[in-house]
Amino acid sequence: MQRYKTYMAGYAFLLPWLIGFLALTLGPIIASMYLSFTQYDLLTAPKWVGLANYKTMFTDDFRLTDSVQVTFKYVLLSVPLKLAFALLLAILLNQGLRMLHFYRTIYYIPSLLGGSVAISVLWKQVFDQDGLFNRMLGVFGIEGPAWISNPHYAVYSLVGLSVWQFGSVMIIFLAGLKQVPQELYEAATVDGAGILRKFARITLPLLTPVIFFNLTITLIQSFQTFTKAFVISGGTGGPINSTLLYSLYLYMKGFTFMEMGYASAMAWLLLAIIAVFTGVLFLTSRFWVFYSDGGK
Amino acid sequence: MNTRKIVSLTMLSSFLVLAACGGNGNDNSNSGASASPSAGASSSASASQPAKKVELRMAWWGSEERHEKTLKAIELFEQNNPGITITGEYSGFDGYFDKLNTQIAAGNAPDLIQMGGNIKEYAGKNSLLDLKPYIGQTINLDDFTPSLVREATVDDKVYGVTLGVSSSALLYNASMFNKAGVAVPTEKWTYDDFKTIVQQIADKLGDGYYGSYDLSSDSATLASYLGSVGKELYRDGAIHFDKQDMVNWFTLWSDLRKSGAVVPAETQVANPPTAVDKSLIVQGKVAIQSASASQISGFQALTQDQLGLITFPNGTAGSGMVPPISGQFITAYSGTKHSEEVAKFMDFLVNDPEAGAILGSTRGVPPSAKIRDSLAASTTATDKVLYDYISLVSEVAPDVDYQQFPVDTEFTKLLQLTSEKISFDVASIDSAVDEFMSEVNKLLAKAQ
Repeated sequence: MQRYKTYMAGYAFLLPWLIGFLALTLGPIIASMYLSFTQYDLLTAPKWVGLANYKTMFTDDFRLTDSVQVTFKYVLLSVPLKLAFALLLAILLNQGLRMLHFYRTIYYIPSLLGGSVAISVLWKQVFDQDGLFNRMLGVFGIEGPAWISNPHYAVYSLVGLSVWQFGSVMIIFLAGLKQVPQELYEAATVDGAGILRKFARITLPLLTPVIFFNLTITLIQSFQTFTKAFVISGGTGGPINSTLLYSLYLYMKGFTFMEMGYASAMAWLLLAIIAVFTGVLFLTSRFWVFYSDGGK
Repeated sequence: MNTRKIVSLTMLSSFLVLAACGGNGNDNSNSGASASPSAGASSSASASQPAKKVELRMAWWGSEERHEKTLKAIELFEQNNPGITITGEYSGFDGYFDKLNTQIAAGNAPDLIQMGGNIKEYAGKNSLLDLKPYIGQTINLDDFTPSLVREATVDDKVYGVTLGVSSSALLYNASMFNKAGVAVPTEKWTYDDFKTIVQQIADKLGDGYYGSYDLSSDSATLASYLGSVGKELYRDGAIHFDKQDMVNWFTLWSDLRKSGAVVPAETQVANPPTAVDKSLIVQGKVAIQSASASQISGFQALTQDQLGLITFPNGTAGSGMVPPISGQFITAYSGTKHSEEVAKFMDFLVNDPEAGAILGSTRGVPPSAKIRDSLAASTTATDKVLYDYISLVSEVAPDVDYQQFPVDTEFTKLLQLTSEKISFDVASIDSAVDEFMSEVNKLLAKAQ
């Protein structure tokens, strides 16, 4: 009886989350599974079409091909750059700086603002044809291209914006660095190891669990990037689909072209893509992630 | 840039004032307009009315100028009809229908919705309320040309009330023509004239100035071009042009781009003509763009330069213009709970002389003959340009029954993609057009 009461209390405390999960997460997931097999224009009832959406996706949608290419380019560039940049800054900040709190806050600010529309708008202003960045280049006599309205450069401005929002990754790295036992460094110094060797042989191996965590999270987030591309391209994914990230195209299909069934199918394909990438990470992790406690 | 700031500041402040008024509209209207009861009697006044508070939402797109005028008209309606408040949900055109689709799907669309040429698409999907029961009762359409009512009619049901008559047009910056010493075009002009004129303007005004936007991505201009060479963009489920027409079309613009007469690709993407506040016409850097004629007041509000309207150039088969049509409709969401009040407001928008005076021609030429007459005395120079243009189009346009491309949004995006592939030199005209033709046919198959 006493035990039963304890259980009930536990579930009662869980209830708000449970209701939220069932109504706002699990329900929509099941609905989208169903919708992915239908033709649904949002205004009239969905019509069952079997696998037609999936078939079209793989055989007859040039925009999807464009969008997958752009997304891979974006993810494969922005994820490593962001991690490297965040790690570098975390190491710098970990050198026993005075006013560490101050710098940590300053560098974290872009990430706080990161997801917001305002930052994307700002980015658009800075990298516009006559934006701040080109004016700065102009001072040195360089005439920069229209970074965001040129199909050859537009995706790099998205990558840049993503890398700039390195804050939360950096904070986690910083926490990881603080965990590295100082005596290892001291012992290495006594043995005559230089900075680089200490980094490669001590810091990096002990940091691999944190790198693994950051890599996975950042990868998943990057595949789902939407706001930046939407705001910077004015919702078009243009010019010439050069900023048509997967989520943006999914949105366009669902809400602009009113093909919500197809958009749902696209969402499941994205899930599959992300699952493959994270799956590979997890499977390979035992070869490169080192847990100092033996992974227990 | 500065004008833009001032306009948006004015907008913001007027919106705040309006919002403040909206909170206690009763008090304001009483103290200002009528000598009714006493100053402190607003509470008793509302008590004497049937205690009914109706809150409506209205969605529209447009420029700052249109927002301001529409909010003013709403304010007037609220004063005349205590107990009804209308909240505006307004934005630019970009994203307007995305948001609306979401709202309709979620079942919380605004009660009043501004629609464009796609009204039938929404009517066919049961999203809009049939207004027939209210016509002749609450909504008076006696002063309307029958064709305007027909445009909103599907299966003997009426889904919208025209807010203004408009037509596709070329919008030009007359001050730039003057500066370049080039005469403004007349409705007799041809595509050869067009090429000469835009080249002259670009050459005379120098670096950074262009005779025209690159209109190869503009579906209205393309539709008119095809008409002018004896073809047609769309009729009865099929396209009526072939690959060669499209090659000619893109070659025309490609040549002009290469000779520096029209806006280069990068600049066009950064300053799209569809965004009023970014248009280079307003900044006096580009002399011609395509627009709906009714947009002229929104553009004119942002510049000191004199703007004008002219028909698309003529081709070998004459004019490709289509007769003026309803530019926008006010429609009601089928899920509205206050259809009577909605109908009342619709009638107010098109028939109330005071509302007519406030709204002017922000959505095109007012559809009611009475309102047009009552406005005649107070028309601004810009209104006159619009009125003259609409009658000009009525004269020159061949008598064709215009049919809108069924999946218009996707067609527009496809045309833009093709145009950009060519202008950014990513594909040759020939291969880009091949792809375009096959995608267009896929779109049509899907629309069946």
